[in-house]
Amino acid sequence: MNENTALVTRNEQAGELVNQLPLTTPAVDIFENENEILLHADMPGVVKEDISVNIDNGKMTLSGISRLHATGASTWREFTDTEFRRIFSVPQSIDINKVHAELKDGVLSLHLPKSEAAKPRQIEIKAG
Amino acid sequence: MIARMNDLNSLLGAMDLFRNRMNTMFNEFDRGIGWTAVETYPRTNLCDTGDNLEVVAELPGLAKEDLNVKIQGNYLEISGTRKPSIPEGYKVHRIERETAAFSRSFTLPYEVDANQAVATLKDGLLRMTLPKSEAAKPKQININ
Repeated sequence: MNENTALVTRNEQAGELVNQLPLTTPAVDIFENENEILLHADMPGVVKEDISVNIDNGKMTLSGISRLHATGASTWREFTDTEFRRIFSVPQSIDINKVHAELKDGVLSLHLPKSEAAKPRQIEIKAG
Repeated sequence: MIARMNDLNSLLGAMDLFRNRMNTMFNEFDRGIGWTAVETYPRTNLCDTGDNLEVVAELPGLAKEDLNVKIQGNYLEISGTRKPSIPEGYKVHRIERETAAFSRSFTLPYEVDANQAVATLKDGLLRMTLPKSEAAKPKQININ
């Protein structure tokens, strides 16, 4: 899982396969605490190699491609190979260099740590 | 003349936008969003590979302990609970991922041999390989 995949993604987008895939908006949960914003996104069928997270100019693009490798004659089909894609605005208080993510059981967990300057701080009042 | 070219370009841009919208709509149909009832969760695919029936279900974030699969003859039931995953000490901004108990049952087109069935849960997909019972398997017929 490497956030810095802008070049790789550009190449893939130039290919025909990606353009043919239908786009799906993944469901996400967003949480926040004092240190970070945490995002959980449902991406069933996506492997780690097919995920990219790009942050550019305050916009974060999540993209994951699910490949089902279906064989045989289809009796019914309710989902297909797809690209999960969603774009978020990232506040300036996020330290982009420290963003990291895990993928487990088709759920992407993305940690967006806040920069030191944006963390809440208790100010001590000195006796004068 | 240049002004006219700009007009033409903006018109073409609008047409592109419209085409993209239409494409998304067709894709949603393709993914079954247009056809299936809202409450069909999880979404499944069923394939027939001759000797086996293969069922794939989208179940992101579920552990195998949270899932139950029952097979009887040509009846298949998938049920389970998706536990809420709100981490400790976090404020909630948005919850879109469903957390509820679910159950879905299917009538398979053939009877399957439940003892030989194999199920794996990987990357949020439940894949089941259900061998057809002997009577339902395709047979080669010799022509005399």
